[in-house]
Amino acid sequence: MSKLRLPWAVGAAVMLPLVAQAAEPIRIGVIAENSAISGIAIPNAAQVAADEINAAGGVDGRRIEIVAYDDHNSAADAVRALQRLSSQDKVQAVIASYTSEVALALEPWAGRLKLPTITPGAASDEITKRVHDDYAHLKYMFQGYLASTFLAQSVCDAAKDLIVDGPLHVKTAAIFSEDAAWTGPLDAGYAACLPKIGVTLLDTIRLSPDTTDFTPIFNGLEAKKPDVLITGISHVGVQPTVQWANQQVPIPMFGVASQATSTTFWKDTNGAAEGVVLQNMATESVPTTAKTVPFAQSYIKRYGVSPAYPGYTTYDAVHYIADAIHRAGSDDPEKLVDALQKTDWTGTVGQIRFYGAGDSHTNGMVYGPGTVSGLFVQWQSGKQVAVWPKGVAGDGRLVFPAFVKAAN
Amino acid sequence: MGSLLRSRLFWGSLAGLALAAAFPLVGGPYTIGVLIPAFYFAVFAMSWDLLFGFAGEVNFGPTFLIGLGAYGAGIVDARYGLGVPLSVAFGTALAVAGGVALALPALRLSGPYFGLVTLVAVLLLQQMVTVFADVSGGEIGLSLPDVLSIDDATNYYFALGFMALSGAALFALSRSPAGLILQACGQDPVEAQALGFNVAKHKLAAFVVSAFFSGLAGALLVFYYGTASPGTFIDIAVGVQIIIAAVLGGRRTIVGAVLGAVFLVVAGEVLRPLGQMSTFAVSAVALAVILLAPAGFLGTLLFRRGAA
Amino acid sequence: MLGLQILIDGFAVSALYGLGAVGFTLIFGVSGVLNLSHGAIMVTAATVAWALAERAGAYGGALGGLASAFLLSFVTYFAVVRPIQRSRSIPSEETEIFVLTGTLLWGIMIQVAIAYLATTSPHTVRPLISGVTVIGGVRTPTNEILTAALCWAAIGALTLLIERTRAGKALLAASVNPRGLTLLGFELERVHLLVWAIYGVLVGVAGVLLGAFLGASSDNVGTLTASAFSIVVLGGLGSVPGSLLAAYCIGYLETLTAYLVSPSLRNIPALILLVAVVWARPQGFLGRR
Repeated sequence: MSKLRLPWAVGAAVMLPLVAQAAEPIRIGVIAENSAISGIAIPNAAQVAADEINAAGGVDGRRIEIVAYDDHNSAADAVRALQRLSSQDKVQAVIASYTSEVALALEPWAGRLKLPTITPGAASDEITKRVHDDYAHLKYMFQGYLASTFLAQSVCDAAKDLIVDGPLHVKTAAIFSEDAAWTGPLDAGYAACLPKIGVTLLDTIRLSPDTTDFTPIFNGLEAKKPDVLITGISHVGVQPTVQWANQQVPIPMFGVASQATSTTFWKDTNGAAEGVVLQNMATESVPTTAKTVPFAQSYIKRYGVSPAYPGYTTYDAVHYIADAIHRAGSDDPEKLVDALQKTDWTGTVGQIRFYGAGDSHTNGMVYGPGTVSGLFVQWQSGKQVAVWPKGVAGDGRLVFPAFVKAAN
Repeated sequence: MGSLLRSRLFWGSLAGLALAAAFPLVGGPYTIGVLIPAFYFAVFAMSWDLLFGFAGEVNFGPTFLIGLGAYGAGIVDARYGLGVPLSVAFGTALAVAGGVALALPALRLSGPYFGLVTLVAVLLLQQMVTVFADVSGGEIGLSLPDVLSIDDATNYYFALGFMALSGAALFALSRSPAGLILQACGQDPVEAQALGFNVAKHKLAAFVVSAFFSGLAGALLVFYYGTASPGTFIDIAVGVQIIIAAVLGGRRTIVGAVLGAVFLVVAGEVLRPLGQMSTFAVSAVALAVILLAPAGFLGTLLFRRGAA
Repeated sequence: MLGLQILIDGFAVSALYGLGAVGFTLIFGVSGVLNLSHGAIMVTAATVAWALAERAGAYGGALGGLASAFLLSFVTYFAVVRPIQRSRSIPSEETEIFVLTGTLLWGIMIQVAIAYLATTSPHTVRPLISGVTVIGGVRTPTNEILTAALCWAAIGALTLLIERTRAGKALLAASVNPRGLTLLGFELERVHLLVWAIYGVLVGVAGVLLGAFLGASSDNVGTLTASAFSIVVLGGLGSVPGSLLAAYCIGYLETLTAYLVSPSLRNIPALILLVAVVWARPQGFLGRR
């Protein structure tokens, strides 16, 4: 008998992967704008996560397959891609877009097609508010990223520690944000929380996303003499930053600047990013959780650049979808939605949970200490240096270029 | 010979329609979902062809008319809850009114000047949608309370029927005496004028018809999607696609525009796995057709058969 | 102070608009071609200059950008424009719409290729000079001054070429009466080659300067083409001085709106002016009828 055991064990070890291959794979659809810095991070990060899970034997023996389509950042293209993922590719869940306009267009279709859909980077509060208002139809939509209101809150929290109580003693601010779906609640959030940290709001500029010449805007803002520019930009980024540096606008920039979250931003701006302070979900040098740095390193090894912010949230999304399918023990969309709502997953950006049906941010990512609170970094000599929160930032300190008045 | 060609075209179109009508029996829900917007798109391209192929005017702004129809219908439905039929009627009326407002000054001009004015009209409309974002939804787009139907088959046959009726109306118009006068006005306005035809009046009429069908199709498409956004209805890129579809299908044929439109939408879909490069491939094919077979799909087909 | 600021900022932007439009109008004047791949070629120049600057330095990058626009303008002519002009199956009265559609498609292909290779994110060419200069209390980037100066240097060189050289005079003659020129023994083909070469240089310089001044992305392609088209029609199709005049009108109108009304309404008055002028005087400021 004992002689037989060894071959049996070997046989089982050989058989296992075969069984895993034979089982019906889990398909996850990805819809993103592949030609944008933030967009391309979505399919790339999804592939990294899927390969990792598959290398570890899959989910209950099932492999994960990623089916990715480019939406050219167009709502119509994205809707068509979602229909294709549902009826032809038969995916179990979809990770889609970093643009709120696109995510909002997908939302009713996710409901009609009964397809659990997670946006890893669209911030508009409207996404989760609609789920709250029409739960029965729209419960398939999840926001795997912080809503604008929470982004604004994190900017105020960080600003209080870094530039109000800090050595700069900022007293006045102007909002510099792009006119888009996600910045409506963001600006409202800024306007509500800035006075609470003792900062007077002097002006709010909502610039058109197709602006190319920012000179008049900077000059107009400078005339009002705010101590800081609170940013809310995603579709613009390179151009205002470069023009800010070239014109030597003496006001620091602080806030949300999505394009600046990727390392390619330094090269795209020829280093003009020096001194820009921004909110990021995670960065490759800071262990927000034990998973952050290993993921960022394997992403960089594979693609040569660090993941932009939706890269981290997408990587996490693939993992918690897999976890939800495992817990649900079924591909049934209703059961999968239930399981997703019960998510409690340690991801690269923190401890991920979703707000329940009673909260106005139904199916939105929970914000706050102990869950996901974001991270603030500053571009310094080509690197993102973490400066907030203290716990993860260590001894990172704000350093502004010479032309910024606050530095003196 | 002429009547032979016409009847060939007629039987060909009928066969095409029959094939399209039978398609849902074999095609999956996804392919049907691709074809529905393609049919509306075909109406856009046919309306454009009436203006270009027959009146001889290069309209760079088909999306001005489409956008007026789509947003007109969308806004009244979203704000006042007028329901689908009334909203569509309002959007169409708005497109026709906008068409007249654009045509009156623009038709004094010709060639690139006319083209530029129509282009500017699109840019202005796009700016307006952004500036009055509280009414139009701005870049985010407008969500509507109503949709035509959530059933794919209903949507499919509705779109197909709408395309067939619009195509028949536009084609009949182009072959009617008024259409022939229009064609004369487009090719040699001076001579047409000398023959006693009121060129301006005929061109204005062509503009109004084009605006009517563009606006109507735009308004209906809004209720198929359930959302309106500048990127889907107004953006210059959409207008460019329409022009390409009409030229590709064969200008001055009306029906050819359907082939061009369906080809563009289907090719974009088939090549979707190419990702970003799908647009490149579709544009390259379209460029090759323009360089090698400038008469377009239908023009080449009719010409070859006619010669043989 | 505000007045001076508007004066300075408007000047540089207008000079850039002017340089971009001059090449566009020149080609129309000489060969009747409206090249709708214009914006795509400009952005190519900026993107190549950005990509090369890392290895070849700012000057090497700028040269590379210039060369890429030069090459691409010849490819546009030989692969797209000339085949259409020579095609027997395209009736001559329809050549115009075919050139428009053909160059439009070609422009889209270039745009998509740039987006594929270099993303849709804007790239900024490393400025040849950094730092700021204070003019009467207005802090102006030195690069902005250089941009305006280089634009005018290029325009000046073009004027010299047209007015002082035999080839330039042939060019001018071709825009007035191409048939007469062939009777005088000039080969029209060579005049066309010359004008596309000049176009390549102008659009390359404009693209690189745009990249250094404001930054350029493949998303800007349509806007750049539309703006050149508008300026050229406003100034009078085929008229170089008219284009410059129109560029300054639009540049200053936009700057004024951005400063005094709102930056987000920047384009609207210029568009309305355009419609008004084309309606009242279709030949534009300095155009011939």
